[in-house]
Amino acid sequence: MKQRIVLRALLGALGTVMLSATSFAATYDLTVDYVEIDTGTMKTGGIGYNGSSPGPTLRFKEGEDVVINVTNNLDEATSTHWHGLILPYQMDGVPGISFPGIEPGETFTYRIPVSQSGTYWFHSHSGFQEPDGAYGSIIIEPQKREPFKFDREYVVVLKDKHPHSGERILRNLKMMPDYYNRNQRSLGDFIMDVRKNGLGATLSERADWGAMRMMPTDIEDVQGFVGLINGMSPEQNWTGLFHPEERVRLRFINASAMTYFDVRIPGLEMTVVQADGNNVQPVKVDEFRIAVAETYDVIVQPKDDKAYAIMAESMGRSGYGFGTLAPHEGMRAEMPELRKEAPLLTMADMGMNHGDMGHGDMGKGDMAGMDHGAAPSDNPAMGNAAMDHGSGGSMPGMDHSGMAGMDHSNMTAMDHSKMAGMDHSNMAGMDHSAMAMGNRADPFYAAGSGLTPKAANGGKFLSYADLKAQKPLYADRPATREIELRLTGNMERYSWSINGVKYEDAEPIRLKYGERVRFKFVNETMMSHPMHLHGMWSILDTGQGKWNPVKHTININPGTTVYSETEVDEPGQWAFHCHLSYHMATGMFRKVVVEGGPAVATLKNGN
Amino acid sequence: MKRYDLMMKGGFVAMVMAAVPGAGQAAEGRTYYGFQAEQFEYRLGDENEKRLVWDADAFWGTDELKLRWQGEGERDLDADINEGFENRLVLQTPISDFFDAKAGIRLDTPTGTDRWYGTVGIMGLAPQWIEVDADLFVSETGDGSARLDLEYEGLITNRVILTPSIELNAAFSEDREIEVGTGISSAEIGLRLSYDLIDRSVAPYIGVSYERKFGDTADFAKEDGEDFEATYIVTGLRLMF
Amino acid sequence: MPSFKKSLIRHIAASTVLLSTFAGMQAPAFAGAGHSGGHGGAATDIGAPGQLSDVRRTIRIVMEDNFFDQEKIIVRAGETVRFMIENKGEFVHEFNIGTAAMHADHQKEMFMMMEHGALEADKINMAMMEMDMGNGMTMKHDDPNSVLLEPGQSAEVIWTFPKDTELEFACNVPGHYESGMMGKIRLQ
Repeated sequence: MKQRIVLRALLGALGTVMLSATSFAATYDLTVDYVEIDTGTMKTGGIGYNGSSPGPTLRFKEGEDVVINVTNNLDEATSTHWHGLILPYQMDGVPGISFPGIEPGETFTYRIPVSQSGTYWFHSHSGFQEPDGAYGSIIIEPQKREPFKFDREYVVVLKDKHPHSGERILRNLKMMPDYYNRNQRSLGDFIMDVRKNGLGATLSERADWGAMRMMPTDIEDVQGFVGLINGMSPEQNWTGLFHPEERVRLRFINASAMTYFDVRIPGLEMTVVQADGNNVQPVKVDEFRIAVAETYDVIVQPKDDKAYAIMAESMGRSGYGFGTLAPHEGMRAEMPELRKEAPLLTMADMGMNHGDMGHGDMGKGDMAGMDHGAAPSDNPAMGNAAMDHGSGGSMPGMDHSGMAGMDHSNMTAMDHSKMAGMDHSNMAGMDHSAMAMGNRADPFYAAGSGLTPKAANGGKFLSYADLKAQKPLYADRPATREIELRLTGNMERYSWSINGVKYEDAEPIRLKYGERVRFKFVNETMMSHPMHLHGMWSILDTGQGKWNPVKHTININPGTTVYSETEVDEPGQWAFHCHLSYHMATGMFRKVVVEGGPAVATLKNGN
Repeated sequence: MKRYDLMMKGGFVAMVMAAVPGAGQAAEGRTYYGFQAEQFEYRLGDENEKRLVWDADAFWGTDELKLRWQGEGERDLDADINEGFENRLVLQTPISDFFDAKAGIRLDTPTGTDRWYGTVGIMGLAPQWIEVDADLFVSETGDGSARLDLEYEGLITNRVILTPSIELNAAFSEDREIEVGTGISSAEIGLRLSYDLIDRSVAPYIGVSYERKFGDTADFAKEDGEDFEATYIVTGLRLMF
Repeated sequence: MPSFKKSLIRHIAASTVLLSTFAGMQAPAFAGAGHSGGHGGAATDIGAPGQLSDVRRTIRIVMEDNFFDQEKIIVRAGETVRFMIENKGEFVHEFNIGTAAMHADHQKEMFMMMEHGALEADKINMAMMEMDMGNGMTMKHDDPNSVLLEPGQSAEVIWTFPKDTELEFACNVPGHYESGMMGKIRLQ
């Protein structure tokens, strides 16, 4: 009798010990399938998860160990990358870097210890499966209460779904780089320009661009897509319901292959509370531009009993996504006026790129002095780095129509930095009544850039300069070294690279575990590139010192230089690339190898 | 002599074919391929001549090395003969941001005398968006010649495109057998208005084309009772796949 | 503002300073970006600073990042309440009694404060706050209906509520109000 009691007690104790030792492990099953994508106006075959595109929204909890079984039902290898998640490198899902990939019919078991919270997404990292529809969203619930209140939430994932498959799109771009550009300047534009500026000025302006064999309309490589919100076209009208006065959290994810979207909700101000999954000090905006692969969480508080439109116009204005926030089922918001006029790049966007686009070998060391981006501010009291005291407002676009034969070879002395040498010690006595709020030039665009965004209602447009970490993830310390990455490419050959070298010809970037590396991105091309480092956070230098925001995807605009720092604290090897699908595929990609650090156990398939 | 020639040509082609896969592996890059027909048209001449003309090419390869086939031809629909029937096979590689160099062989098999040529040339995009294709040829008979092709695509709208083009041929020595005299032997200028009907894949067009032979080449034509110049109305399809 | 009220405010300010308990060393700052003309003007009666002797009730308010520990306060019309406010967060927060419209105005002011470096996410630069911006305007917080606290600081506001006005208590630090750091005051 006594023995039985003792045994039971022992077993009970053992059981309790075991339960407390294992953390909660949730298991998810995903299948990768061929799917039909029907947007109403377009029916096309694609790839999805669990039978649909977009795939499901996975919900994890911060602190739990997540197990995800991914089964490949395709005829070709696949992979799943968890964008923005910090995890062991073998679980990162990049074939050739993390693991060999998932063969047809195989199941790979991902084991991820979740150590973060926020909005993220997942997608295939094989071939062009992601542009073809293989993407889904991730919500990670925090352990602690978040620094903002909301009554309901929605995932709003944006996509640029094209009727052509990704494979076909790249093949076409290789044959003809402007294959998908129907926004080019034609005879009509020429006549209008002549009327406005005169024949001589127009001819010489055209000749300037012609001499470089570049087009100011070269903003969106792939046009002709249907903008989707949560997989639904504007006609299909994705709708999120709300009760008036409720605070609604919208988790915006840009899962596009190639398209940046300008997002606004006419009639509603948006308070940005998270960027790339990390809390930011809340910023009220009327509109924001979301680059490919970025996420922004915003809080809106619709007060009226009416339908609000969620508008996502593409940066090049060739397409748009549309959805509705409504108080009742079956409502459709009124479509706001579309801004059809596409922006034009200017000579300012040319920045450092002067005809010799080639494989990035500028060979001109004196270019180093040019800094168009936001240089780190020494004065922490500056706060918002975008103060322009010159014209008191936004910088008027530079008119280059009369600039015949501009010689770009001697730009050594030009310093476009807005931060250098600004003395703020005498701010007293400044009359700020004339300083319109929200009207300052964005330092993350080249001065006079044609891409500088303006809010449709004239209000505040979010800038990187507005992003400040709510709570810094790392102590602020100086970087241990700087690595320069020139973003290079040749539009005519549709060939993209880093430092003039394609991925297949390049040495990996080697980092030392424990260092803090400062990446200097110099954009020598005329396109914006969203650079994404896997596995480790990128602390974007917006001049805020310890309040610099922590992101996983950093957009670098043409003709600018942007800095970001990374605490190298994850061993293994990681992908680092431009997230524009067809740039990544043609060579704008690197492998990052972290040397040193704790020995990483060989994690095979699920073991 | 003929058998020797055949062996030489065969060997050259074999070399070309062997080089490509090897080069592809070394680069380990993606391979791309494509086909296009810049001209595929029916021509009606000012003296009622009816012709079928094509100018097409296809390629396969990586960014660093491509194998390209270029084919041109002109068929006299009245006489049912091939006035011109050219096929080229070249290897192409980038030499600058906007230009590629190419080298290979060309085989002319019109109705009449056949000719083999070795060829080197460049193709690419010149400033102000002028497309350039320039080649040097050396025939089996040891005669050298050159060709220059220039084209410009003017956008009337984003779908309606006006394309002026010019082709110049010059010979460094006379080749009587194929009726080519020294100097500028012939020129062709064209103006075509096309409409992108299906993406960039199918674009029907109409236009005009003017052909002219010069100097000795013109004389040879006259001797044969042929016209040394002709103007055509053309209609056809631009294709790209 | 009539001069007697000014001296009253100074009296309240002085007593509030005396009464404050703090973990931090600096005196708390008051909301109001320097215009002594008073927000809200004559039109809306938001109440008035109260006397310690009239206090019938004490309400403790905790500031966290970025929310108050309460979303609604119910008081009797005309009642004098003592608010004991503690900032348990890692960021600067405000506790401000007023109408929604007043809060909206004040948010603009606080935005300016941040732009000028007088206010940072986790600290208040007193020197910059008191700087003369020209036209005799300063960014000093010296209104009795609110307190601006650094992390760890505490303060008190004694307030006599009006008869019937729609009031809110709010933190007007940029972005906090929209994130939900506000609540309704119901007058019974």
